[in-house]
Amino acid sequence: MELSTTIAPFVRASTNIFREMLDVSIHKGQVEAEGESFLSQGFTVMVGLTGGWEGWFFLDMSQETAIKMASLMVGEDYSSVEEEEVLLAGAEIANIICGNAITDINNIHSGLNIRLTPPSIFAGDNMSMFNVRLNACSVLLQSDIGNVKINVVMKEAK
Amino acid sequence: MKGLRMDGTAIRVMAVDDSPITRKMIKKALEPEGFEIIGEAGNGKDAVELYHKIKPDIITMDVTMPIMDGLKAAQVIKEQNPAQKIVMLSAMSDQDIVAEARGWGIVHFCAKPFKPEEIVEKILRVISE
Repeated sequence: MELSTTIAPFVRASTNIFREMLDVSIHKGQVEAEGESFLSQGFTVMVGLTGGWEGWFFLDMSQETAIKMASLMVGEDYSSVEEEEVLLAGAEIANIICGNAITDINNIHSGLNIRLTPPSIFAGDNMSMFNVRLNACSVLLQSDIGNVKINVVMKEAK
Repeated sequence: MKGLRMDGTAIRVMAVDDSPITRKMIKKALEPEGFEIIGEAGNGKDAVELYHKIKPDIITMDVTMPIMDGLKAAQVIKEQNPAQKIVMLSAMSDQDIVAEARGWGIVHFCAKPFKPEEIVEKILRVISE
């Protein structure tokens, strides 16, 4: 499994969902190997992957971007990531991006049957997200509401 | 007001999704059209329990949820009432999920992200069958 190839469905899903749900255009950056960790921009959602492949999907952005994203999604104004609906909106966007991407992967690789776990949300300053002993692949997406990083770690399940 | 029947009564909907934001967006899409959201649940187990109390005309059911997923909840409800109308509303709709849902007589999927008019039209189509 080549991670740099596998991340393509996540880039496509992110681009589509930002356009359809938020009316925000994004421009993908260069795919890069991330290694075992990355520094959060301040707001990170993690979705677990189980089944034929297992791992994690991270959606990472600044807290300001998370607030703007929630406002566009729900149509209401927010001022802090501590507001519950900002956290919930970030979680649902990550869940939809990951679900759309995994649907594509499952349809291409019949029998993989990858499933998602409910999202977890992390917000704070200077958080390092670790994927111990696993190498991740990232793409930094540039948008009108700020930079959004998608980070994928997957390996074949034993 | 597409959510009203000829006799003026509202089509009664139960919204099942672990995301309160998505349940809110379902309400925002349906209530202005006259649909009545008569119950909400955040997981499949709660959905099955609530279903017996409120008997909705139609259920919107997420797939990935904690405690009991939407496919299992739909299976339990369909076993008890094969005529119950259910729309699977999910970000996940791969061939395996679609096939499993079909096995329980559920053929209607609405993919996330959805536009308000899409979920309205999907519900009306299922209700009319």
